[in-house]
Amino acid sequence: MIEFKNVSYAHSKGYGVNSLNMVIDEGDFTFLIGPTGSGKTTLMRLIYFDIFPDTGLVKVNGNKSTDVSKRKIPNIRKSIGMVFQDYKLLKDRNLFENVALPLHVLGYNKREIPDRVDEALDLVGLVGKEMHYPNELSGGEQQRASLARAIIKEPDLILADEPTGNLDPVASFELVRLLETIHETGTTILMASHNYNLIKGRGRPIYELKDGVLRIR
Amino acid sequence: MNKILHLLGEGFKNIWRHKMTALTAILSLFIALYIVGVIATAGNNTHKVLHYLRSKYKIEVFFSQDVSNEKAVGFIHKIKKIEGVRTATIIEKEDAVRIFKDQFGEDIEELLGYNPLPVSAVVNVNRNQRNFFNVEPIIKEIKSIPSVDEVRYQGNLINKIERNYKRVIDKLPYLSGVIVLIAVLIIYNTIKLSVYSRKEVIETLQLIGASNTFIKLPFIIEGILIGIISAILVFPSLFISVKAFNYLIDSFSSFNIKVNFDPFILVWMFFIVILISIIGSYRAASNFLK
Repeated sequence: MIEFKNVSYAHSKGYGVNSLNMVIDEGDFTFLIGPTGSGKTTLMRLIYFDIFPDTGLVKVNGNKSTDVSKRKIPNIRKSIGMVFQDYKLLKDRNLFENVALPLHVLGYNKREIPDRVDEALDLVGLVGKEMHYPNELSGGEQQRASLARAIIKEPDLILADEPTGNLDPVASFELVRLLETIHETGTTILMASHNYNLIKGRGRPIYELKDGVLRIR
Repeated sequence: MNKILHLLGEGFKNIWRHKMTALTAILSLFIALYIVGVIATAGNNTHKVLHYLRSKYKIEVFFSQDVSNEKAVGFIHKIKKIEGVRTATIIEKEDAVRIFKDQFGEDIEELLGYNPLPVSAVVNVNRNQRNFFNVEPIIKEIKSIPSVDEVRYQGNLINKIERNYKRVIDKLPYLSGVIVLIAVLIIYNTIKLSVYSRKEVIETLQLIGASNTFIKLPFIIEGILIGIISAILVFPSLFISVKAFNYLIDSFSSFNIKVNFDPFILVWMFFIVILISIIGSYRAASNFLK
């Protein structure tokens, strides 16, 4: 599903990642741990082809970083669900509209959308809050809304970049549990976090990224 | 089809969601279009002013003393055939005496015992000509008629009016071009601001796999709607302005000019606004998505 072969990438200010090698198979739930600034977001961005490696090869769902065209990127992203620390919910749209957004991008029929949104909101426990705007939701709720938006298109892969970064311990724990539930349906998940206590002892592979260098923990 | 309907809806919703930005854009564009409309209407009516002024051009032709009224009629026919002449009216010897009496209060025939005033003619020139009007060839031809003694006309004034008219007419297309360019820039900048203010939306859409077309289309639809709304507001404003101008001219001046509002200008402006909205919004959205 995801393969990194000697991947290096340097930002203009110098920091980045160095000679990364990593394999994540289909159906895996993998954690990526590392302190702030260690390169976790850079690694995630390399996966959804927001940036391209300076050297080496990134392969995602059979798409190689060396020959993926700009026009193909939206199609690749359609099968990736993304969750971010800052939720990236649209403030001028209510919960229903936010969660339904990927279905419009995929061209779903208007009549099918409400049922799909209900299903996703049910899974993340936000039924009844459809008409709420992001600023009317708590941090935990916003992150669950962001997760609902990621899963509504039934992606093959979910990338969660520090999804618990702004959450309290209880909400963080609930979110990881939620991701585990989603994983049980066969979705591949890669979650980045700097909170080792949250992910330890879950029996999942953990990659550690420190100063741009990756090792399995 | 579902996507297209969604994007159309988004274009409409965007205007509502960003009411203040849209309102600013509509007002800026309204002003630009109003100026374009005023210039176009003025340009379209400039010939009327000239028409009016040309109707005031007067050439007075005085025949020799020995030319009788009957003989003068023949010369008048000749004058009428000269290119650029609209009318030529004879002023018979008797009429001249009456005019003299009207102006000076004396009967010159009674005073002198004979009528010393010659037969004359008042010649009016063609008003409809769009190009520079040169009175000299007409004067030359009139003077070539053997019994013409003297020709009086406002040569300097006519030349001044004609030269200034030509100057205005020559510059009008450039001025309109500049205003249209300003309108394009206003739309471009407005949509650019609108695009930048929704940077977050664009980034989110990109992350969930929306294509560039999917992202751009609502902005383009929004731009077109802003253009259409501005145009809809401009049309009655121009119409009212023209009515008000005519009223003022009619009430407070002696000019007999009526400015007309050509519906073709509306059609022309409507297409221009749609075109510049598409170009402006497409360029702004594309620049951001580079």
